[in-house]
Amino acid sequence: MPNARLRYVARRIVQAIPILLAIVVLNFCLLKLAPGDAVDVLAGEAGSATPEYMAELRAKFGLDQPLPVQLVRYVGQIATGDFGYSFRHEMPVWDLIVDRLGPTAILMVTTIVLAVGVGVLLGLLAAVNLNTWKDSVISILALVSYATPLFWVGLMLIVVFSINLGWFPTSGMENVAAFYEGWDRVWDIAHHLVLPAITLSLFYLALYTRLMRASMLEQAGMDYVTTARAKGVKEGRITFKHILRNALLPVLTMAGVQVSAMIGGSVIVETVFGWPGLGQLAFESLFARDLNLLLGIFFLSAVLVLVVNLLVDILYTFLDPRIEL
Amino acid sequence: MLAAAGIAASLVALPASAQESGGTLVMVTQPEPPNLAPYISTSGPIGQVASKVYEGLVNIGPDFEILPSLAKSWEISDDGLTYTFSLQEGVTWHDGEPFTSADVQFGIMDVLREVHPRGGSLLQVIESVDTPDDLTAVLNLSEPAPYLLVALNGYESPIVAKHIFDGTDIRGNETANAPIGTGPFKFVEWQKGQYVRMDKNEDYWQDGKPYLDRVVVRFIADAATRTAAMESEEVLLGGFGAIPNIDVPALEELPYLEATTEGYGYFAPMMQLQFNTSKAPYDNEKVRQAIAYAVDRDFVVENIWFGFGKVATGPISSLFEPTGLYTTDGVIDYTVDDRIEKANALLDEAGYPRGDNGIRFSMVHDMTPYGEEWRRFGEYVKQALGEVGIAVDLRYEDVATWLKRVYTDYDYEMSSNWLFGLPDPVIGVHRQFHSDQIRQGTVFVNGMLWSTPEMDALMDKAKTENDPAARAELYKEFQQVVTEAAPVIFMHEMEFVTVYNTKLHDVVTGPLGIYNNFADMWMEQ
Repeated sequence: MPNARLRYVARRIVQAIPILLAIVVLNFCLLKLAPGDAVDVLAGEAGSATPEYMAELRAKFGLDQPLPVQLVRYVGQIATGDFGYSFRHEMPVWDLIVDRLGPTAILMVTTIVLAVGVGVLLGLLAAVNLNTWKDSVISILALVSYATPLFWVGLMLIVVFSINLGWFPTSGMENVAAFYEGWDRVWDIAHHLVLPAITLSLFYLALYTRLMRASMLEQAGMDYVTTARAKGVKEGRITFKHILRNALLPVLTMAGVQVSAMIGGSVIVETVFGWPGLGQLAFESLFARDLNLLLGIFFLSAVLVLVVNLLVDILYTFLDPRIEL
Repeated sequence: MLAAAGIAASLVALPASAQESGGTLVMVTQPEPPNLAPYISTSGPIGQVASKVYEGLVNIGPDFEILPSLAKSWEISDDGLTYTFSLQEGVTWHDGEPFTSADVQFGIMDVLREVHPRGGSLLQVIESVDTPDDLTAVLNLSEPAPYLLVALNGYESPIVAKHIFDGTDIRGNETANAPIGTGPFKFVEWQKGQYVRMDKNEDYWQDGKPYLDRVVVRFIADAATRTAAMESEEVLLGGFGAIPNIDVPALEELPYLEATTEGYGYFAPMMQLQFNTSKAPYDNEKVRQAIAYAVDRDFVVENIWFGFGKVATGPISSLFEPTGLYTTDGVIDYTVDDRIEKANALLDEAGYPRGDNGIRFSMVHDMTPYGEEWRRFGEYVKQALGEVGIAVDLRYEDVATWLKRVYTDYDYEMSSNWLFGLPDPVIGVHRQFHSDQIRQGTVFVNGMLWSTPEMDALMDKAKTENDPAARAELYKEFQQVVTEAAPVIFMHEMEFVTVYNTKLHDVVTGPLGIYNNFADMWMEQ
């Protein structure tokens, strides 16, 4: 069995190479379709520039080359693990991305743990107490938090908890007037994390609650549950040993999809709370036509999607041994 | 609209309150600068941050008077061709190396003239820089340049260190993200997406300054959050649109916040509508004038820009009044009471009578992609021109697309826009109207494709005229002819707001506003 798994993993990695290549080429072509280039934007921000200056910049950025040449160069670069240079930031793309990976991971991991954990719990509670007041309250809460725009939730939390109550800071990841060190810094970051993590979790939490509830109910009507009950298995055991384990599969699938998306961060929450994540970086670089940087982020996202999908597929076999690779 | 007393207090240091040392200033800048290399970009956010680290030869006082900075004093020869600067003694770079005239020579000739976006045209007149000794720099000019001195300030022409840049690829120098200057604050670190931290320069050449221990510039992408951060006192200062105009009245009511529109004189931003004058019917002066009459500037300032702005009269901002270059004498007034009748009459004369449906012709109006006000302004233009029989369709694109459309493809009819007037018409105004500024692919120059020998001659003369009275006369005629020809409709002089916590003092000390070096700012402890 472990051998079969290893072979499977190796096969999937080989398959991933053409997929990644296609993604790089497609992204490159798509982004080049946008009118205007990085030089236009840089000069636009500068307020003025001479034509010689702009021509010089284009030559330096390699934008004066024909598109196929630019594409071949870029693919060659990526193949050797070189993400290129962001001329806008005057920094290597890889350094820029690495700087943002930490904050992105902190926010997204907290969010997913919160959302999946609490969501599964609430969904379970709602399903077990089907059609009671508990179920109604949970369902209504889930619906409301799913339907409320994220930026609005964020701003309301800021108004209530930062401005009126003064419990949490409005934005940022650290207190920049103090520059804490050591454990004080960890505590400070955690303090700054509360509002953005809650805002982002609320949305996903609603999703998992509804998914978990529906999945539990679906499984509860299955024949194997009736069989178990006929055999005299206790209700509690049926719920936790039989139904829950099967009901988790769709939730796992969903979480897998979301973890893949996590490297993209959340533009809205990052923007509202001034959180220095990758989402905002990608968003800014799109408008600045900073293609090297944007392509780098896209490439990394693509890799992550492929890796997480593979992990989820393997996880399935543990949750449900009937599934074969 | 804004508290006049607050402005006065911030401009004039009251003798009763002695400056106190210490404190961390947290300011917010929007958007985050792409890098901190003011010698390769004049981008606003870069200037707001880097001006604390880099300095220029001179600084600019409240009435545009030229003040010493790295240059202690200067002499200009009678023919206006030689500028001799005596430099401050005992100035060191943040890495400990001494600052000398060699830095001035290298900074101007090899950095600013070569890679600065405006340096190539602005400093072109400087043929060479002589360094007779370490503390004297002599600029030799090819022709008189009345606009030169003001352009040598720290935001426009930052002096960089020769020992760091010499022999390197200047544009790709490693200090692009970690500047080393002579200014009152030393760069410490930049956490991209979060903040730039700068600490007090203990060896600053002005004794006792700066007063602040630290300046931290934060970046928060969301406007509502920036406002909230001001309100919760996490941030003490924000300007140049960092705090949206619409939020200013509410913030001003808080006892600990103050707002001022002072400190933008250097930029003299002008809001305008511009035509592609190569396209019919916009090649017709009467059509352009009619549209200039049809828009109600007062309405736009009051209702779309929330009162922040002053109705413009011509290409030169009224902020230039102290310099004598601004005039309304003989300039067409497009704000007269019977402007709608005039507009209709002009369009009839131009040969565009109303059709059966009341429409004369239709156009696509491109809106500047800088945010909500510009959209609302576009909607207003559609309505206002509809009244005189011009059917308007609106188009809103992203910045890169719009810039390419207007300045590379010239594929537009009429676009809104805004440009800095900058502290001399040669720097900010000529670029839009001189025929040698029709430069395809270069942004914020003559995108109207406008060209008349008469206007070119006026600008050429004014560029080298050192006598203030003669220069004023030339610009008077210039303002008259540009306003009559109307390749651009001058809408209003835009006003920006700086919001600051009342703990801070001497926040705005001149027309450079928050682009100043903050050496004089202090904070109540």
